[in-house]
Amino acid sequence: MLKRIDSAIELVANLGHCSRIGWPVVLRNLTQIIESLRKFWNMNAAKIDEAFEALKTFDWGNDRAPLAPIEQAAVAAKDAAAQGELEQKLLAALGGNLNRAGKDFVCRLLVLVGSAKTAPVLAKWLGSAEDAQLARFALERIPGSEVRQVLTDALSSVKGDQLLGVISSLGARFEPESIPALVRLLSGGDEKVAVAAASALGDIRGSEAAKALAAAKPGSDAVRLAVTDARMSCAEGLLAAGKSAEALLIYKSLTGDEQPKHVKLGATRGVLACAGKK
Amino acid sequence: MTQPHQPQPHQPSRRGFIKATGAALAAPYVLTSSALGNSTRAPASERIVMGGIGIGNMGSGDMGAFLGRGDVQYVAVCDVRTGVRDGAKNRVNEHYQNQDCQAYNDFRELLARTDIDAVHVATPDHWHAINVIEACRHGKDVYCQKPETRTLREGPLMVDAARRYARVVSGGSQRVLEDYRGIVDACWSGSLGTIKSINVNVGPLSQPCYLPAEPVPADIDWELWLGPALWAPYNKARCDGNFSTGGGSWRSYIDYSGGGMTDWGAHHFGGATFAVDVRDQQPVEVVFNQDSEGNYLSYKYASGMTIYHNKPKTDNLKVEGTEGEKKEPKPVPSYKGEGGIYGDFIHCVKTREKPFRDIEYAVNTIVLSHLGIIAYQLQRSLKWDPAKQEFVGDAEANRLRDRARREPWTL
Repeated sequence: MLKRIDSAIELVANLGHCSRIGWPVVLRNLTQIIESLRKFWNMNAAKIDEAFEALKTFDWGNDRAPLAPIEQAAVAAKDAAAQGELEQKLLAALGGNLNRAGKDFVCRLLVLVGSAKTAPVLAKWLGSAEDAQLARFALERIPGSEVRQVLTDALSSVKGDQLLGVISSLGARFEPESIPALVRLLSGGDEKVAVAAASALGDIRGSEAAKALAAAKPGSDAVRLAVTDARMSCAEGLLAAGKSAEALLIYKSLTGDEQPKHVKLGATRGVLACAGKK
Repeated sequence: MTQPHQPQPHQPSRRGFIKATGAALAAPYVLTSSALGNSTRAPASERIVMGGIGIGNMGSGDMGAFLGRGDVQYVAVCDVRTGVRDGAKNRVNEHYQNQDCQAYNDFRELLARTDIDAVHVATPDHWHAINVIEACRHGKDVYCQKPETRTLREGPLMVDAARRYARVVSGGSQRVLEDYRGIVDACWSGSLGTIKSINVNVGPLSQPCYLPAEPVPADIDWELWLGPALWAPYNKARCDGNFSTGGGSWRSYIDYSGGGMTDWGAHHFGGATFAVDVRDQQPVEVVFNQDSEGNYLSYKYASGMTIYHNKPKTDNLKVEGTEGEKKEPKPVPSYKGEGGIYGDFIHCVKTREKPFRDIEYAVNTIVLSHLGIIAYQLQRSLKWDPAKQEFVGDAEANRLRDRARREPWTL
């Protein structure tokens, strides 16, 4: 930011020599404004540096006030350059030996200023029982194919609850590109993983997700419940998108007597909705 | 979706109870008045079987309201605090003079029961969406305390779940109709002319919590209390259920609540949206105003209505109408059935009508709180698309529509 202000000052100074423009007074005022901004950033940069120093030892029970300049900078950073500058500092802090509270603080701010550059740094935490939730807290909210890729890559390496978390984050991002990877998990032997995958497909919706769910062979009541719910979610999405024929197929398949009463009722109402009736 | 449950041992259904009772008629046996009902209690077959999830400060009040109804049979309580849970169970058993009430630590076990028709939810806010959506998936009707949602994403998913399974889902602000009746009547009577705006004064916003770690007491399941929220060490003030929003209660902290903006906002915005009759809409713009007296918001509706938040020098629920103009009065919607908002819910469970604070109205109310929180956080105006449930061309604001949930919890 300071380099950009210096460049702006130089530009204005050069313009001031152009007497043909006839703006000497205006340019002088503009220079003063920019100089003020320069002083402001000088002052704030020092405070931000102090805050990052305090972050190094920040722990549960500490006053958060010394970290406020970092929070303010995250809100004030409105362009990619400023956000990128702060993101680099935050990622560098994560590379230090932060306490859990410090990591928590950083990941909350990466929600706002994180970019593709955050993806490889937090990807390393996706398999950690302690830190995976912090990594996903940021990654789930950062748009872009790079983040989607690290989450998708993690499906083949992380296990247990951390795998369930990655699946749920992919669902919450609503990206159709994730469907093939989630479909593969639907037919695996792990019940909890199958439930999570079905739920994620229901979040993403669309014809492709609906077809995969229709082909699923639930091996337990829990998976059956999840697949049914996801199929109904897909049907709603298809109906809203004007694909009533596809939605009708789903609803009709769920009106049988083998379905729980509330599923049958909902599916029957869905059939009526496809026909344009309430 | 939450993790799979283990089905519970068979619980007697109302139909099973009646079958057994009918068989007993063949032998010399006296049917109890409890089964048959009396002037204060409906017959067993006509009672709504209920359970409660979260029986703290508000939950115990809700439980008491439902417990006191002759057309409800209360059979289960769930809370992650042993003392609270056991106390609630004892209270139910004392009321019915039996030992039938079951107590659960994990809400999934309660929801797995096929004999329960409806549940009331009064957990901390960060649990509401999961509890409500899972209840709908298991075929239960739901009364959910306000504020019904913790993030913008949760609202539409709760409405979807309710509609998907044709469930009755009521939000839980009794103040909307009861406390603000005077303003509502004035607006709907037509005497204020064309209503232009109303103001809501409420706050503060919640904050991140970095309280020091304390030993976890033996009588709380801390992991389950946290649930989908980021892990943090136990601290009594972090999870206390008192009504403070200035620290010392979960209502103060961002991982569990939106602070006063959602806690009392659910009431005041609820009253405001009802008074100016925009419960079926959401705003399309939130204007961030910087004023020497303090920043404030203007929520703009496509219909032309404006709801202010914390407008300087303006009383709470102050209405601006068209002076001198008179409009035709409109009938004011009200509760159905007897017994306030609780009776309204039970009536609708029986008749399958939409309750007064239907989940869609509740979401349209609490959306004002969440949009406002984001506007204040980003210190700028926002444009909102109610149909797509996203900020218009605003990638930064859209990042804040939801918060990732701690594994294994998901919506």
